[in-house]
Amino acid sequence: MALALSPSTIRSPGAALVALGIAAFLVLFLVVPVAAVVYVAFTEKGGGGFTLVNFLDFANTDLFVRSFWNSMYVSAMTVVGASVLALPLAYLTTRFEFRGSALVQTLGFLPLIMPPFVGAVAMQLLFGRNGTVNLLLDDWFGVKVGFMEGLNGVIFLQAIHYFPFILVNLSAALRNIDRSMEEAAQNLGSQGLRLFRRIALPLALPGYVAGASLVFVKVFDDVASPLLLNVKEMMAPQAYLRITSIGIDDPMGYVIAVVLIVIAVVTMWISARALKNRDYATTQRGGGGLARRKLSPRQSALAYVLVLFLLALVLAPHVGLLLLSFATIWSFSPLPDAYTLAHYARVLGDSSVYIGNTILYSGLAAAIDVVLGGAIAYLVLRTRLPARGALDWGAGAALAVPGVVLGIGYLRAFYGVKLPDGTPLAALWIMIVLALAIRRLPYALRAAYAALQQLSITLEEAAENLGATKSRTVRRIVVPLITGGLLAGFVTSFATAAVELSAVLMLVQNNSDAPLSYGLYVLMQTPAGRGPGAAMGVIAVIIVAACMALSQIAAGRAQRSREMEI
Amino acid sequence: MYRSIALAAVLVCAAGAAFAQGGKVTVVTSFSKDVTDPIKKAFEKAVPGSTLEVQNRNTNAGVKFLEETKANNQVDLFWASAPDAFEVLKGKKLLAPYKPKATGIPEKVGSYPINDKDGFYVGFAASGYGIMWNERYVKANKLPTPKEWQDLAQAPYFDHVSISAPSRSGTTHLTIETILQGEGWAKGWRTTKEISGNLRQVTDRSFGVPENVNSGQVGYGIVIDFFAFSSQGAGFPVKFVYPSVTTLVPANVGVVANAPNKAGAEAFIEFLLSTTGQETLLEPSIRRLPVRPEVYAKAPADYPNPFKDKKLQGLLTFNADLSEKRNQAVDVLFDQLITFQLEPLKAATKSLHELDAALAKKPNPQASALAKEARDLIAAMPITDTEAAAPEMHAAFTGGKQKTARQAELEQQWSAFAKEKYAAAKAKADEGLKLAR
Amino acid sequence: MAKAVAIEIEGVDLSYGSTHVLKNIDLSIRPGELFAFLGPSGCGKTTLLRLIAGFAQAQRGSVKLDGQDVAALPPWKRDVGMVFQSYALWPHMTVAKNVAFGLEERRLPKAEIDRRVAQALDLVGLGQYAQRRPAQLSGGQQQRVAVARTIAIEPKVLLLDEPLSNLDAKMRVSVRRDLRALQQRLGLTSIFVTHDQEEANTICDRIAVMEAGTIRQVGTPMELYEKPANLFVASFLGSANILDASAGVPVPPGQKLVFRPQHASLAPAEGATMSGPVTHREFLGATVRYGVKIGGSEILVDTPFQSGAELRDVGATVGVALPPQRMLYLPA
Repeated sequence: MALALSPSTIRSPGAALVALGIAAFLVLFLVVPVAAVVYVAFTEKGGGGFTLVNFLDFANTDLFVRSFWNSMYVSAMTVVGASVLALPLAYLTTRFEFRGSALVQTLGFLPLIMPPFVGAVAMQLLFGRNGTVNLLLDDWFGVKVGFMEGLNGVIFLQAIHYFPFILVNLSAALRNIDRSMEEAAQNLGSQGLRLFRRIALPLALPGYVAGASLVFVKVFDDVASPLLLNVKEMMAPQAYLRITSIGIDDPMGYVIAVVLIVIAVVTMWISARALKNRDYATTQRGGGGLARRKLSPRQSALAYVLVLFLLALVLAPHVGLLLLSFATIWSFSPLPDAYTLAHYARVLGDSSVYIGNTILYSGLAAAIDVVLGGAIAYLVLRTRLPARGALDWGAGAALAVPGVVLGIGYLRAFYGVKLPDGTPLAALWIMIVLALAIRRLPYALRAAYAALQQLSITLEEAAENLGATKSRTVRRIVVPLITGGLLAGFVTSFATAAVELSAVLMLVQNNSDAPLSYGLYVLMQTPAGRGPGAAMGVIAVIIVAACMALSQIAAGRAQRSREMEI
Repeated sequence: MYRSIALAAVLVCAAGAAFAQGGKVTVVTSFSKDVTDPIKKAFEKAVPGSTLEVQNRNTNAGVKFLEETKANNQVDLFWASAPDAFEVLKGKKLLAPYKPKATGIPEKVGSYPINDKDGFYVGFAASGYGIMWNERYVKANKLPTPKEWQDLAQAPYFDHVSISAPSRSGTTHLTIETILQGEGWAKGWRTTKEISGNLRQVTDRSFGVPENVNSGQVGYGIVIDFFAFSSQGAGFPVKFVYPSVTTLVPANVGVVANAPNKAGAEAFIEFLLSTTGQETLLEPSIRRLPVRPEVYAKAPADYPNPFKDKKLQGLLTFNADLSEKRNQAVDVLFDQLITFQLEPLKAATKSLHELDAALAKKPNPQASALAKEARDLIAAMPITDTEAAAPEMHAAFTGGKQKTARQAELEQQWSAFAKEKYAAAKAKADEGLKLAR
Repeated sequence: MAKAVAIEIEGVDLSYGSTHVLKNIDLSIRPGELFAFLGPSGCGKTTLLRLIAGFAQAQRGSVKLDGQDVAALPPWKRDVGMVFQSYALWPHMTVAKNVAFGLEERRLPKAEIDRRVAQALDLVGLGQYAQRRPAQLSGGQQQRVAVARTIAIEPKVLLLDEPLSNLDAKMRVSVRRDLRALQQRLGLTSIFVTHDQEEANTICDRIAVMEAGTIRQVGTPMELYEKPANLFVASFLGSANILDASAGVPVPPGQKLVFRPQHASLAPAEGATMSGPVTHREFLGATVRYGVKIGGSEILVDTPFQSGAELRDVGATVGVALPPQRMLYLPA
């Protein structure tokens, strides 16, 4: 009888094939397009040979250096702001008996689904210099607050937009803390905020850092929000502005793109290092389980006030969007002049094509992400294939590639490739799907990791012991057990892909292939299109939210049936 | 009335007969949906069997797109406002010449020739540049009503004006170029910078300006006329004025080289120039100035008519050649001297406004001299107009061999220049303010 | 050392929703006592412990420490040290930090904290592990850290929730002795929750046997064994034979006859009040245990093992003799 080998030591040719397939996909649709664009950073303008002079120029240009530090500052402060929003919501909804926890968690995800342009317009109308809040403040107290001014405005907008990343990750981590961890501290005399700061937060640190590093990178790479607030002196906007206005041959835009990618990879690396050996695994045997603490009536009232305030703040863009979609004219007034349904009537016909495309593209992209993400996570965590880490880093690096760089890269790499009937490859809508899939792959990958890490390897060993082959074990044991986690990844990828614009804008070849975000962009460039644009934005949010809710229900059902079997 | 319909019918028949094969016509345009939707509808009705496929991209992105995809071009038409963009495309041999068959369209609108002299693109509507403002905003802040560019440089306008960057907006580029040509390089830049000292923001999209004026986030915007007219058409409380130094520039359409559906492209041009096509331009969501004079009979009251209004006729002649030569230099200068140095420029301007106010109360010759020095410092330019239009400068931006310096080096030089001058100007103004008080 | 305190529990009722977890509990624990809550899982013993610590709220009744009602006090103000079943050591802190935690929460001076941490760790014999992380220690060491962490705050009482359940059998014996010795040295009123009667019997002064939310009997281990108040206690502590009239023995109506296997002996079948066939035989070392079928029931009889002694075979009919003073009649 042969010695039993643990699954982790078996080298399976199947796994190697899958790894090669994924590597080919990443090279073809991520590395090649990005390289097709980024090599410009290393050439002298006008077609010279290899040079690093552009990086010297970068360091010698005040504007770029200033932009770099501005981006650092904004990203760091956004993490702080997003944490302030996410911490109470995550803590209250996971560690306490709090009615409406599920609702809060769901609503807390919504800010990620903010359609481009309309969101910022709505925020200006609410918080801008002459927005609702400031007009009222001015009226009552004669003061105005610069919520939306300069870098602070960007931080404000970004913190609201991206805090769900922290909320989701932190909540998951907090849920995994055994009740006795907190009770032991209470028993020794600790309570309230000290208890949170000294016990719950450090134990949930891995989840928090995962979310916070994601926020940092996303904010560092985000083009849209700063530009909508007319803040140009940041890294990503500089790259975007240079590439789209000075020219596709200008190296400086790509130099910045290289810097962006490097910063993102370094951030991810640092956060991975920081978390090494800090996986304070989950519930312990003989522990108290996940029971939630009770709040006294007074604490409960306070908690509700706090949660409602935070929700009002983070959902303000959506409230503004809703108002805008029903507004006739809204100009220099706290609320719209009058309300109408006309905007919905106008977009209803148009948007059915866009909606169909959005669901198709985002759905396909998210499906690709889940498959790839799950496969990469499995290869990294469960096999000893050489260089499997490269897949991980490659897919993670996609996080850092600015959408516009990827869009141009796709045009460069694939427009010359013709199909038999002469249509360029890049003109097919499937390219939009692939670009979206690459852009959102890191989200699904993260979710797959988390799910697979919580799965004890003994479950797989048991299956193999009973005679299941590797692939059947994956199919019958691993996949069913990580479905919930994968679905979370699917939802994040899907929801964020549905409102992605930057890469889409470069790749949409005709209106009938365009997704909602493009239709919205087009509408929002005209005075009469503002209301209809907002209406389309509302429709987009509803559609995405409905799809999320559906998949959540499906996940819940799968979970329940599985628990019954066990 | 009947006659024009009959005429339209004849034209449409002619167009329909000549280009019955319509099919799918693909157009890349910077025009918004508000503009393209009614025209698409009217075109598809006028030329049965045709569909207009609209790809919306801003002017620069559109040019870049054609450039990137020229090896396998799928686009029939390029359709946008800025003549510069067409000059660029023409220079890169991305357009095919076409001479329209339509008759009854004058040579010039204002003083600008409607069609390209080489026949690569055709004007179908005219637009002028001016100032729009939000009436509620102006009333609430008790601000004046502007008439001329120079008005926007006055103290009350401080922090209330918005413009889009010329590097980001073909129309703003033309506005700045118009001021430079109308007032000359040095004086033109002085005006531009004095106005810019009052800027609230420099947006990166043309539409960012009317968007913010419409919602009342800024008071005044420097825009192309149809933004204001269509905002009015949508019901926003905004007003618009043409300053005396402006130009009417045609919005154009051109057939892309190697168009897959050349016949369809030509049919679309003929349609745009037909009476039906021209009348579509009067729709509230479009509001452009038609190039066919008789169409104005159907226009609403107080609609500007460049063929009748005295004010719009004696305008300066826009020199498109000169504009094209220094195209990038002007854009980069604006960005480095104004867009990315807005804070120092505004700080200096604010001090100057305070100094002016102090001087108005209590004259002080020494302080007045300092104010003048400060203004000269702000107005100082790192390069002359000759240098700006020189081929070496062009080469710096396009990667040519005989260049003065790399673009990034030039940018750093210019922004350092501006930063230093603005700081010096603020110091002078502050010094003057001490004396004047 | 602080004065040992008494714990008085009066009329406590506690339910979670429709589940009645504790039913009218009255209990009086003496100062300095090591007291056990013993019962099968789900009997409410851990809940009662958590009630004392402040992690559960009773609907009715009172808990008094040293004569003072603690109902209004949150857990962090009770000065009740609790050692959790899972130990609940914080993985992000060193052993020393874990032990220092409660002292830091009490805002003691740094020097005082250092002194008491060292003292507590020495007391459990882990002085040299102060800078380790909990994950680097064995289960028994972790358990001692948990105890050190709790006693460092010098609590009024010490609560131990199944402290031995995560240890292997051999460790349990030595750790329980250590615990007892420590408790004696500190003179600390302590409550020990367990489902294992041997643990309770060996180290505890008195035991409350619990079942389904009620206390069935309180007493010293010997009292409980010798004079169980009811069938549950009788059968839960050690083995007990329980017979009713159907077995052919005289039992008053409404009662049952209870006796321990070692108090019965095998006798010739003739003339015995109880007799029947041997159903099984187990060799336990010092004793041999026979199963004998009496009427409809099976009883156990332990006989001392002596080398060379004659053994009964399975199937043989035997009589069972029982001295009258060993017969206990308990309500059915």
